Amino acid sequence: MILKGFKVTLIVILVGLMSVGLAYGEQKTPWKIGVAVSLTGVFGKDGNLVKDAYTLWQETVNSQGGINGAPVELIFYDDKSDPATTAKLTEQLITNDKVDLLLGGFGSSQLFAASPVAEKYRYPLISGGASSNKLFERGFKYYFSTLGKATEEVRGCVDIFSAVSPKPKTAAIIGADILFTSLACDGYKKYCKENGIEVIHFELFPMALQDYNSLLMKVKNKKPDLLLVGSHLLVAMKTMKALKEVDFSPKGVAFSYGPTVPKFVEDLKGDANYVIAASEWTPNMPYSGKVFGTASDFNKLYLKRFNRRPDYVEAAAAGGAVAQQQVLQELGLKPPLKKEDRVKIMEALHRDKFETFYGKIQFGADGANEAHPPVAVQIQSEKLENVFPLEYAEAKILYPFKPWKER
Amino acid sequence: MDTVLAQAIINGLLLGGVYAAYSAGFSLIFGVMGVVNLAHGELIMLGAFTSYWLFAYFNLDPYLSAPVAMGLLFLFGYVVQKYIINRVIGQPHIMSYILTFGLHLMVANIAIKMWTQDFRSITTSYSGANAAIWGLNIPYARLVTFIVALFVTWGLWFFLMRTETGRAIRATAQDKEVARLMGVDIRNIYAITFGLGAAITGLSGSVMSPFVIISPEMGLEYTIIAFCVVVLGGMGYMPGALVGGLVLGVAQSLAATYLNAGVSVAITFIILFVMLIIRPRGLLGKGSVA
Repeated sequence: MILKGFKVTLIVILVGLMSVGLAYGEQKTPWKIGVAVSLTGVFGKDGNLVKDAYTLWQETVNSQGGINGAPVELIFYDDKSDPATTAKLTEQLITNDKVDLLLGGFGSSQLFAASPVAEKYRYPLISGGASSNKLFERGFKYYFSTLGKATEEVRGCVDIFSAVSPKPKTAAIIGADILFTSLACDGYKKYCKENGIEVIHFELFPMALQDYNSLLMKVKNKKPDLLLVGSHLLVAMKTMKALKEVDFSPKGVAFSYGPTVPKFVEDLKGDANYVIAASEWTPNMPYSGKVFGTASDFNKLYLKRFNRRPDYVEAAAAGGAVAQQQVLQELGLKPPLKKEDRVKIMEALHRDKFETFYGKIQFGADGANEAHPPVAVQIQSEKLENVFPLEYAEAKILYPFKPWKER
Repeated sequence: MDTVLAQAIINGLLLGGVYAAYSAGFSLIFGVMGVVNLAHGELIMLGAFTSYWLFAYFNLDPYLSAPVAMGLLFLFGYVVQKYIINRVIGQPHIMSYILTFGLHLMVANIAIKMWTQDFRSITTSYSGANAAIWGLNIPYARLVTFIVALFVTWGLWFFLMRTETGRAIRATAQDKEVARLMGVDIRNIYAITFGLGAAITGLSGSVMSPFVIISPEMGLEYTIIAFCVVVLGGMGYMPGALVGGLVLGVAQSLAATYLNAGVSVAITFIILFVMLIIRPRGLLGKGSVA
């Protein structure tokens, strides 16, 4: 009898709890935002960084009361670094999960596959982890990127050398033969020409190359002042190992991507010093905006939440999410969104200028961020220091690269 | 001889030594059991990670952790053969391809779960150190790997020719039915052989760790090169891995120096293709064709 009474009470409590839950759910329809991103496979490492950035944005926004009173709910799907899967999952997010909005994942090939789906269903798609020029040459209206174009990203890496004396006269450009890194090499070539630096060697190599020593020995024999590498993390690390083994110390060494990832310095230690890398953002930049406050505030928050400093790709991803949020606030929209709302959002993204912790964001007609200056960083005493543009520089560039035998 | 050519040949020989060091185990396993081990690269990865973690946590030099890597990989290889691969011995070849390909995926993905996808590197006080003799550059770590390759080839030869277990392995390779009649425990011999192959491969991963980038997904590219090296030298012919490695290394280095890096990668597959057509028993004609 007592047991029966207990059961009844339990049922009453459970039903009560459920109805409260339902009522709560009805009151606050969340913003459903879908992300198809690589969490495993070749880009798994980078994709997880983007996921962390969006997660931090979601937590911050929800702690500030959501967007126009509604909380943000993120749905992540793993595309396993396969572009065809990215496209499929993006469609699934739109048609099955009926998300209100999307955010972009990582990698040019992934976004290249996802963006036509977004364009077809008229969903704005902002990414902070893809910058290949081809993404912006298709006349799309719904694709946006907070990063600059790949060829322009490396400008800081070349322009910085106009600030040293004696000015370098020659450069060798090498890079992996994939879309992003080969575009970086094209960028190097363009800015070398603008700066009056003669390119005496240009070579693209396949990702499968195991023997970097022979390649770099050949470049060493041509005695260039600068070595400019179109890279991502793995290529950058392999190049550093080989540079030291063949005892090649050009006056300046720069990479398009890699050295800003903390693991680069952690494992290469002192060997990483003097290396220059392209970047789009560093925590000391004098930027600020709503949601995250200043660039430095964002850095601190990130450090607290994930126990590491954010890379510029993470800042760029969070910056894109903030821009989209500001449009929702400006238009006073509430979930669930209608088709015509998303058209308005797209128009506003093209029209508005956004002040954020990531810097000014202004999307051009092709969707690329036009307001962003290219940044160059240098590893000095095993720490990343912002060395370009000169007006924001934390430290003066160390030049020339200290020869291996003198270290 | 001009310095550029001499340097290219030295680079090639040192590269070939690296290839030979990590391909010998592949050749041994194929020669004795007829198993093309598609999880070969994962053995290199595990050897390299053994050295990485011992370096990261105990600051143990990679050359000192090499015996540990050998021991662990021997155990790993022994268990894998005894409980998994032994089940498909004697079945059609496709079974061992499928099984070892499955192993490759499994080991690599478990490693990703455990150690994340980070790229890692060991930087010791002598990392990248190199000698300059008559204007020619010789990185010490690669020279050591070259010597290890010579030692492994000699050691395997000695073991197979001069020891009781070695004789049993050779007997099994030649005719397993007769070996069985002579009282050889075939399954145990197979497990020892795979363990041995894994151990020398783990050793190579360990001695390569100071100059390669280590990650859970590094294995596959090594498996591909090992396959080419072994086809070139003769499948299952022990000194063949050394010959194949050196020839491939020099060919790649010359191509990278005088043509370009893209050709140096392509040349690997051109050589593989041509060899399989005109000389499937290897350069020295001593390999076995399954």
